[in-house]
Amino acid sequence: MTSIQMPQLGETIVEGTILKWLKAEGEAVERDEPLFEISTDKVDTEVPSPVAGTLTTILVAEGETVPVGTRLAEVASDEDSAVAPAGEAAASSAPPTSLASGGPSGETPGQGASDASTSPASAPAAPAAPTAGASSAPDRGPRSQILSPLVRKLAQEHGIDLSTVSGTGTGGRITKADVMAAVTSGPGPTSAAVVAAAAPAAVTPPSVGAAAVEGETVEPMSHIRKAIATHMVASVNETARAWTMVEVNVEHLVRLRERAKDAFLAVHGVKLTYLPFVVRATVDALQAFPAVNSRIAGDDVVTPRAVHMGIAVSYDAGLIVPVIRNADVMNSVGVARAIADLAARARSHQLKPDEVQGATFTITNPGPYGSLISVPIINQPNVGILSLDGIQRRPVVVEGDAIAVRSMVYVSMSWDHRLIDGEIATRFLARVKQNLESWDFAEDLGI
Amino acid sequence: MTRRTWLFEPEGVVPYDAANDAMHDLARRRLDDVIPDAAILLQHPPVFTAGRRAKPEHLVWSEDEATAHGAEVHHIDRGGSFTFHGPGQLVGYPILHLGGRPDAARYLRSLEAAVIRTGAELGVQLHRRGDVQTGVFAGEDKVCAIGVRLMRTRVTLHGFAINCDTDLSWFDGIVACGLPDNGVTSLSRLLDRDVTVEEVRPIVRHALAAELDLAFEEAPADELALLRSPLVA
Repeated sequence: MTSIQMPQLGETIVEGTILKWLKAEGEAVERDEPLFEISTDKVDTEVPSPVAGTLTTILVAEGETVPVGTRLAEVASDEDSAVAPAGEAAASSAPPTSLASGGPSGETPGQGASDASTSPASAPAAPAAPTAGASSAPDRGPRSQILSPLVRKLAQEHGIDLSTVSGTGTGGRITKADVMAAVTSGPGPTSAAVVAAAAPAAVTPPSVGAAAVEGETVEPMSHIRKAIATHMVASVNETARAWTMVEVNVEHLVRLRERAKDAFLAVHGVKLTYLPFVVRATVDALQAFPAVNSRIAGDDVVTPRAVHMGIAVSYDAGLIVPVIRNADVMNSVGVARAIADLAARARSHQLKPDEVQGATFTITNPGPYGSLISVPIINQPNVGILSLDGIQRRPVVVEGDAIAVRSMVYVSMSWDHRLIDGEIATRFLARVKQNLESWDFAEDLGI
Repeated sequence: MTRRTWLFEPEGVVPYDAANDAMHDLARRRLDDVIPDAAILLQHPPVFTAGRRAKPEHLVWSEDEATAHGAEVHHIDRGGSFTFHGPGQLVGYPILHLGGRPDAARYLRSLEAAVIRTGAELGVQLHRRGDVQTGVFAGEDKVCAIGVRLMRTRVTLHGFAINCDTDLSWFDGIVACGLPDNGVTSLSRLLDRDVTVEEVRPIVRHALAAELDLAFEEAPADELALLRSPLVA
């Protein structure tokens, strides 16, 4: 399956409008044959298919404007096998990108964990899910709702109620074969049983717009909101999410930051938050436990040597995950600068498509907004997403069985049980904890 | 790498259809790599062309009124809104292969740069207004419209139109490029003398060659026939 994306026609061209699909779903297309036409604020062009095959899915309708890099359609190339397993298609076709619900806008006073202008954050409750493409993605709802014209026509001809047909295509889509099977099996108990067995993949009716009621406002969801929604749900549906938390004593980090933040800003021009420390500690743990840095691709496990760290950043349109590329070769200063740069450009909509793709692991940071514990949604195809929650001063038992007041924080990870187990996840988090509690970051700050 | 480029400079005025067909024909063959890059520099008889973003209200005259004034109206496949072509305007249609990673924005900047360079040689300071629209302006007024379409994302179609000594009253017929607040001007008006297409042509040719790294050669005779109307069907 080949994903067709909104092409990049130049650095300053950031979005395009689909003028016309030149092929319908189910129609064959030659390599380099025009597939659709787009209009940008500068030029119009027809866009050819990169492969010969069949246009299986149109994800963005005519008249819609989407960012460069957005997945627009899928073409099953002639070299693909007839039907790809749903999981495989989902895993291989979606570079991770923007996610999660937008965070609350207020920063909790006295939190001091970070600064909203430089530190990414996500909603306390539901930080992350993946999306394909650049900063937005298809928004025609769950795939199971998408019906090709051919399928609709066949169903109509044979009087088949599509809501009773279970899809065996990618993402539970109903294929021509499914309709023909329903025709053959006829109505009655047989098809009802099929529906029951395949409930999760069954077609749901298209959503109906809400009618405005006194005291309510009704407005359409934005493309980005819908993309976030789709990919949140896709992540929840596709991953076997488990969650583990550790508690970290960050007393010395709080002191270090208090001591160093002014000089750090003066020397490096960016504010010092706790996030660079956490990124550094996490990178080390990812190198110690490479499985946590891996991803599923079909029946394979792909484990990159480099760490490309996704950082969830909230901005006006929702949430996006810019990527610190090769975070494994950066010190805290490099990480701090990269975060400040990416976060600022995310908020001014200046990120390039390749800057929001290819994360091998993701960190979300709802702490500054006042969260105590969060359970994020995994940014697929990552194995895990680490949540840095709010730092709190609280009484703890310290050496010698004394009770003392220390700065403490909960660091947790949602992880995909398909690929790793509790032992690895827990040892990974213990390593992050140990790094944060024992490393002396002072030298790393370059001041 | 300098691009070998066929140059078409048909005499007189070329009907819009003929030029449009020739341009698409050349582009298709350029796409298949059977001909080199090409550029057409010509003048049209009066014609209003409507791009994909043209809104009916941007045509001030009705199509009948336009026809009554002696101008055709064509709805075409480029982006942008309405524009006017006619005598006194040098129209350029570069048909260039932008390569494996086509950068349309950069191509447009190069076109703008070529026109700005042309103005500089003639003694008028022109500029782009990237925030407003593609094209080249003097102050707030547009002196050169630019509208480009790509074939298969990589071969350029359409191009630019520089007002040399164009009768600017034609622009009363449209809201040029959909921008009601922007006026239209010409090199003649800016320089307060008659600046003809023939004076501007060699300067534009030189500026295009410099900005886009083109090496012009005259197109083969049988190719030139493409634009010798009315032989073009």
